[in-house]
Amino acid sequence: MKHLNTGKKKLTAVLVIYLLLAVAFYFLGGQQFYVRDAETDDMVKPTSDVNEIYTGSEIRQPFSIDADRITGVTLFTSTYGRKNTCSLKVSIDRNGEPVASVTKSSGELGNSTESVFNLDKPLEITAGDPLELVITSPDGSGGNAVTVYYGSSISVSKGSVDKDLSKDELASVNGKVLDGILCFQVTGQENLLFGNIYWYLATAVGIALAIYELILLYKEKNGISSPTLRFFDAIKKYRFLMEQLVNRDFKTKYKRSVLGILWSFLNPLLMMLVQYVVFSTLFKSNIPNFPVYLLIGIVCFNFFNESTNMCLQSISGNAGLITKVYVPKYIYPVTRVLSSSINLLLSLIPLALVMVITRTPIRIQAILILFGILCLEVLCLGIGLLLASLMVFFRDTQFIWGVLVTILNFATPIFYPESIIPAKFITLYKMNPLYHVVRFFRIVLLNGVSPEPKAYALCLIAALVPLVIGILAFKKCQDRFVLYI
Amino acid sequence: MAIIKVDHVSMRFRLSADRISSMKEYLVRLVTRRLKFKELWALQDISFSVEKGKVLGIIGHNGAGKSTLLKVISGILKPTSGTISVQGNIVPMLELGSGFDYDMTGRENIFLNGAILGYSKAFLESKCQEIIDFSELGEFIEEPLRNYSSGMMMRLAFSIATVVEPEILIVDEILAVGDADFQAKSKARMLELMGGGTTVLMVSHTMSQIRELCDKVLWIEHGKMQGYGDATELCDAYAGEIS
Repeated sequence: MKHLNTGKKKLTAVLVIYLLLAVAFYFLGGQQFYVRDAETDDMVKPTSDVNEIYTGSEIRQPFSIDADRITGVTLFTSTYGRKNTCSLKVSIDRNGEPVASVTKSSGELGNSTESVFNLDKPLEITAGDPLELVITSPDGSGGNAVTVYYGSSISVSKGSVDKDLSKDELASVNGKVLDGILCFQVTGQENLLFGNIYWYLATAVGIALAIYELILLYKEKNGISSPTLRFFDAIKKYRFLMEQLVNRDFKTKYKRSVLGILWSFLNPLLMMLVQYVVFSTLFKSNIPNFPVYLLIGIVCFNFFNESTNMCLQSISGNAGLITKVYVPKYIYPVTRVLSSSINLLLSLIPLALVMVITRTPIRIQAILILFGILCLEVLCLGIGLLLASLMVFFRDTQFIWGVLVTILNFATPIFYPESIIPAKFITLYKMNPLYHVVRFFRIVLLNGVSPEPKAYALCLIAALVPLVIGILAFKKCQDRFVLYI
Repeated sequence: MAIIKVDHVSMRFRLSADRISSMKEYLVRLVTRRLKFKELWALQDISFSVEKGKVLGIIGHNGAGKSTLLKVISGILKPTSGTISVQGNIVPMLELGSGFDYDMTGRENIFLNGAILGYSKAFLESKCQEIIDFSELGEFIEEPLRNYSSGMMMRLAFSIATVVEPEILIVDEILAVGDADFQAKSKARMLELMGGGTTVLMVSHTMSQIRELCDKVLWIEHGKMQGYGDATELCDAYAGEIS
């Protein structure tokens, strides 16, 4: 009876925790559950201007955007460095009919830089509608006019690459087609269903959780075995051993080094410094808040590199133990991931420090990083299990993995922006699970908002797919490990 | 009640002559269809059971499969066929000091090695002093293991391994470690454990020990059961074959 009562207590505790998490998550998610920011491609590199825009001239730029409403337009403008009295009108046409417009006086425009035209009221559109930007000047004349720029390439570090442009994308001035498109970017928002159905979803999951718990309780009472119960039993039974193994890994890592644990802080900081100097001077990059951007990438990748390499050796390196004492073999890779997580948590301290120094606002949403960390750990564990099993049978695995890690280092946006990846490779590029996790970290920490619901789903998939593959491989081979090590 | 039940257990090894540990080699052999293994049956159709509190001796020549059998019962090796059921916790004393870390102190290693042997945290905390006292290490317990002599290391390992009173103890040769004094002490400890209601499986080549300690004996030759039964009878038969 007492057993049953503790079971009921646990059940209620889990449900209460779930409820709290669901509510907290809703408030952390905020607007991002209802709308997603959308924008057209990055602005092309300004190469030439369209000359002074006089009364009567008309510049047309066709575009379309995957969004449900448009909130603003950014243009690359120039006032020729003088004080004009004229103004510039930006309107959006649908089927030749103007549907929205903003007018700004010359004084509000930038000289050889980007100017933002925010719509007074967001324009509701249907995603993918063929639209046109129409730029006119009500009162421009010779010597008292402004201009906008166009181009046909995208800047990449110091150079640029040509943008693939089709004929009906090109801009035109008074009906004459230019050999490029305007330097423009339209920003908008996309409606998301997730926010509206959030409470239904949360309730459904809660009910499913409660039913599952009841089933478990029933099974426990009647002594029926189930994977979940076995999992909790194993945790209870081997917790102390895992604690001891993590303790050993951590203590021996920095033993006999003068700075000891300080290296956990220093290592990511120094790596960031080196790469920061290299990529901000040798290869110009125009990523905003580059130090934090870079450090997030480095911290994530360091953990990935360290934990997978430690897992790789976890079975073959513990041969002495495995052939002498029976312990479930997954304990070894799991403890390796756990001990590298301590390092990951420690390296978040220098990250926070750099965020404070660079005055990156730290918002409450930063706590969502826990989800990212969890996904990263699960991802590393999955890959680690696979590597550990392979390593027992083929010692080549360690060398192959060394090469693969280097490839992944370049295939993940750590020190470069993801926008430099050509459109035709983007699908392949996004197959990299690390990409999704790093992106999640950046949105949470750099933008200070919750990512769109899709990003959570992608992060989970990126973590769970390797985990399932890893578990299956490990399970299939584990009985033969002892014969080969 | 049978605490250990071994039912038609067989264990096959693929011999190391053909063990492949590089992917290139594996692929080449796979393609040329030379992926053949030389098989060795280390255990063939072994069946027996041990009652709670009894001492079973396992005898046989070197390479007969005695250690393999102990490893199969400990769960380290999974048998190719057959089943094993074991009720209760096993402490395998196959090799002392498995998992010692040379950079950690003796005290830290007591907890690490104890955890590997399956002891609980509370148990180790209460028995820590007893282990230190038994090992006679004194001040050295706070030193990293790399500063230990091999005798000190074995004394510590023995003290950790024998501090519990497990339900099943698996012993590969009675472990007498350290100097003469400690050897006597450790032997006394082993005998105390064996006499204390623990079920024991022991491998030994010392017939006098087997006769003295064991209730029953299992005799294995070339992986097959040669005999199973009364200790004195089988020891006589085994001794007869040797001479």
